[in-house]
Amino acid sequence: MARDVFSDVLLGLAVVTVAGAALGVLLMRDAYQKLHFVTPAALVAPVLVTLAVLVQMGMTENTGETCLALLFLVIAGPYLSHATMRAFRVREKGDWRPGRNEAAATEEKEL
Amino acid sequence: MVLGFAAAAIAMLIALIPAGIVLCRGDLAATVVAFELITAVIVMVLALLAQAFQRPSLFELPVLLAMLMFGSGLVFVRAMERWL
Repeated sequence: MARDVFSDVLLGLAVVTVAGAALGVLLMRDAYQKLHFVTPAALVAPVLVTLAVLVQMGMTENTGETCLALLFLVIAGPYLSHATMRAFRVREKGDWRPGRNEAAATEEKEL
Repeated sequence: MVLGFAAAAIAMLIALIPAGIVLCRGDLAATVVAFELITAVIVMVLALLAQAFQRPSLFELPVLLAMLMFGSGLVFVRAMERWL
């Protein structure tokens, strides 16, 4: 019984995290601000879901596979956010490095 | 069926509606952000549904999607950077 309640609380927190992240993506002005709201949904909520599965099932094969999915999410999330932000900057400025103007970057790309 | 997990999966899908609006109506950059959010949440929804229906074989799907999310996200981002 206590196990069910604790698991439900963790799941509720995960749902609230996802709902907040989705609202943040909707309400923020530009893509840089929106991207910050992906992190809670991609890192915090999966940890809560994994803990809920762990509490409900104990150390079983299912928990192990959920942990594996969590591991991939934790590794991929920051890389993906960095790559996305870099792509936004390249689209806007022509180059991700500060101080390089668009013309120089275009010339370099043509070469 | 474990009711709490099924309810959480449905609630997460409903919570994704704002991200779906961004996906449909936002500009290209916002759309990519919404795509990344939705993919990450769908990984959790698949895990929750597998737990809810007590099917151990379904736990392969979130692992697979989490792996594919990384590759597909990078492909989208790279395409956006170079060609779109």
